[in-house]
Amino acid sequence: MMFTGENIVQIVSDFLHWIYSQLGISSLAGVIDPIIAAVVMFLFIAVFVMFLVWMERKVSAHMQSRIGPNRVGPMGLFQTVADAIKLTIKEDIKPVHRDKIPYFIAPIVTFVATFMGMVVIPFDKGMVVQDLNVGILYIIAITGFTVIAILTAGWSSNNKFALLGGFRSAAQIISYEVPLVLSVVPIIMMTGTLSLTGIVEYQRQAGYWFIFPQIIAFIIFITSATAEANRAPFDIPEAESELIGGFHTEYSGVKFAMFFLGEYIAVVVSSSVAVTLFFGGWLPLSFLSFLHIPGFIWFLGKLLLVIYLIMAFRWTFPRLRVDQLMDFGWKVLIPVSILNILLTAAVWLLLYGKKAL
Amino acid sequence: MKNDELKSKIEVDFKEDVQSAVISAQKELILTVSSERYVALCQKLRDENEYFFNHLSCLTAVDFPKENKITVVSHLWSYKYFHQLTVKVDTDRNNPKIATLENVWKSANWFEREVFDLYGVVFEGHTDLRRIMMPEDYKKFPLRKDFADDGFIVKPS
Amino acid sequence: MTDLLLSQVKAGGEFQFGADEYIVNLGPQHPATHGVLRLIVKLDGETIKETTPILGYLHRSIEKICENRTYPQCITYTDRVDYVSAMSVNLAFALATEKLMNIEAPSRAQWLRMIFVELQRLASHLLWMGAFAGDIGALTPFLYGLRERERIMDLFEMTCGQRLTYNYIRIGGVMIDILPDFVPKCRAFLDYFQPKIDEYEDLLSYNPIFLERTKGVGIITPEVGIDAGVCGPTLRGSGIACDVRKQQSYLYYDQVQFNECIETAGDCWSRYKVRMNEMRESVSIIRQSLERLEPGPIEAKMPPILKAPVNSEIYSRIESSRGEMGVYLVGDGTAKPWKAKFRCASFNNLYVLDQLTRGWKIADIMSVLGSFDLIVPEVDR
Repeated sequence: MMFTGENIVQIVSDFLHWIYSQLGISSLAGVIDPIIAAVVMFLFIAVFVMFLVWMERKVSAHMQSRIGPNRVGPMGLFQTVADAIKLTIKEDIKPVHRDKIPYFIAPIVTFVATFMGMVVIPFDKGMVVQDLNVGILYIIAITGFTVIAILTAGWSSNNKFALLGGFRSAAQIISYEVPLVLSVVPIIMMTGTLSLTGIVEYQRQAGYWFIFPQIIAFIIFITSATAEANRAPFDIPEAESELIGGFHTEYSGVKFAMFFLGEYIAVVVSSSVAVTLFFGGWLPLSFLSFLHIPGFIWFLGKLLLVIYLIMAFRWTFPRLRVDQLMDFGWKVLIPVSILNILLTAAVWLLLYGKKAL
Repeated sequence: MKNDELKSKIEVDFKEDVQSAVISAQKELILTVSSERYVALCQKLRDENEYFFNHLSCLTAVDFPKENKITVVSHLWSYKYFHQLTVKVDTDRNNPKIATLENVWKSANWFEREVFDLYGVVFEGHTDLRRIMMPEDYKKFPLRKDFADDGFIVKPS
Repeated sequence: MTDLLLSQVKAGGEFQFGADEYIVNLGPQHPATHGVLRLIVKLDGETIKETTPILGYLHRSIEKICENRTYPQCITYTDRVDYVSAMSVNLAFALATEKLMNIEAPSRAQWLRMIFVELQRLASHLLWMGAFAGDIGALTPFLYGLRERERIMDLFEMTCGQRLTYNYIRIGGVMIDILPDFVPKCRAFLDYFQPKIDEYEDLLSYNPIFLERTKGVGIITPEVGIDAGVCGPTLRGSGIACDVRKQQSYLYYDQVQFNECIETAGDCWSRYKVRMNEMRESVSIIRQSLERLEPGPIEAKMPPILKAPVNSEIYSRIESSRGEMGVYLVGDGTAKPWKAKFRCASFNNLYVLDQLTRGWKIADIMSVLGSFDLIVPEVDR
């Protein structure tokens, strides 16, 4: 049989159920399966993010005619491992007059909230931790947690710079959530389902990926996702040249690592959603489907391309001032995304008539 | 205008204000002014159409302990006529006071603060006479020739 | 040491705050203040109410030291006044001393001086471009600028052995003659570099985000500029022709063809454009100077101990990369200057910062400071 994601999931699932039956806990399968899936996802994301940090450093280096890490491991691949070890053994410097419990919780909430978004991303047909039928809604709701965490971090640090950074960041994230949601609405209108697997299935049946009819939505989505992750050109909250570190100035060691990784996981989540919604998820390019490459390899490839795009933004553009950022979000992106919804609805009506609605 | 034309013109126009107008061996026109006429002369030099010295290039002071004076020196330049002028005014070394040029050229603000900081010359009428480079509570005036502090040794002259 | 805000001083010693105002200290150690400059910023939310620069963190009493060194010994100290364009400061002091003592450097030395000062201007503007773009957030042009600057440093190192503080332009001429392969290497560098300026302009100049951050920000009107003593590319961005190379020509600038780069808007973008154009003009000047270079002596005949005439003084100005640099020397008949004063462009340019940023946001302090091309050792000396 062919080497596809579906088959792998089937094989692993059968094996696990055989183990349960041997141990006599078959009735608990419904509980243990998702836990094991979540653990696998967590491990995969942990390794993937480490790879991403290396990739960012290499991409930025080559764009700046440097080499980037090349000492630790072949081509510097283990640089992130070295960095992670360094951050864990670093002294945890805490400001004396901090607000103890919020200071402790803020990085944990950031990390957990962004990671929870990965739960509904389908890597292949059936290769998803939990295929919620409100997938998109769930992801958008979860990314709202980061606002509270950042505000908490800025406030509890007892530092004017951190507080300013926290305010700016919260304002930015809240402003850019609206165009994020609005840019996804045309797709939901076209497919009639909120589930991510359902959206990819629709693209398979329709024969085209949503990037073609919805190029405007894609641009708005990528811009808003970059702003949500506090990345350049929207990285005013952590602008080094202005406020040293923004909301994470007073964090060091593992807590800083959690913010740092949380940012990368947010990038991964947004890019995965972009790939699923606009680029057909695990679907192969139709003229290359004879190669029988498994779906999750296609998914990972497309994901890396979108992530490369987001990384290239960071090293090319200067950063926007905070009021220009707000102007852009409210006065440009939101009207354009609303127009996009109207346009989609109008074209849909024209093509398919009233019956299709 | 060339230096000699400028000199003859100044000797005619500002006869009462200027104590002496000399062209030095290094071909610079140097005016020496008394402290009462100082600001008025500079104002006229800036405003009158033939002179138009709209740029205060440098304002500094020179310490002459033997003659018991601190000379405040201003260098003027005109962006319109491309001529340069030096204006000097002497102040008493024991109590150096002179009127401020801040109302004539704004750039004098920080120049005079620096002269106050390093020489101790008080500029009357200055809006914000504080030290600019040394710490706020520093007591001495470093660029004076008799400055002996922080391990600095005065050479016998 | 007590910290006093301008308004606090004027009020007689109490902090004067309106409702919702607070103070942020962009302290001496900061990634973007181009050196050890301290800014006390009074803010209302994000809007700036007042900016007070506090100087003196890099005061090394160079002027006092020069009073106790002979004239040739002072040249070493001039490197440290502005280490990013050390050749210009060397030249300023050397020219002032030569005028004081009536020495004339030979023609080959003058052409060499021109070449090196213009190469220095290129190096300084490249570093400025990188720092300016980096403050605004575009982190990549910094590395491109430094990459080109390395090639210029190679040319310098080939000639005088130093990459940053050269001590090359001496009184009466230059230190040592150039190597035979300097001229072809310099020409090769200029051919390589000239299209690069267009490339970097392509990356930055019309980028919408860059335009938003710099157009209309920090406008210096011509009257305010001239009155406050602003000079150099900062004033040329406001439409005033103030290039000392044209107005009070020194070396052989009146024998080469170059344009004075002027823009009229007076905002950060115009100052940026002025400096990018100046880079192009510098390339043209260096090419013309390389053509005119002829064999000859590189140092004038001077007495072994240089003594200034009694009761002499001179104020000599040149156009350094940042603006007008003046040296005021008073001679007293001995081998050491009685007084040496360096009039530095950054000192006056910093004065207008307060006026320009009132009512703008914190991020604009970075844009404006970056567009001034400030070097703190010049401010403090």
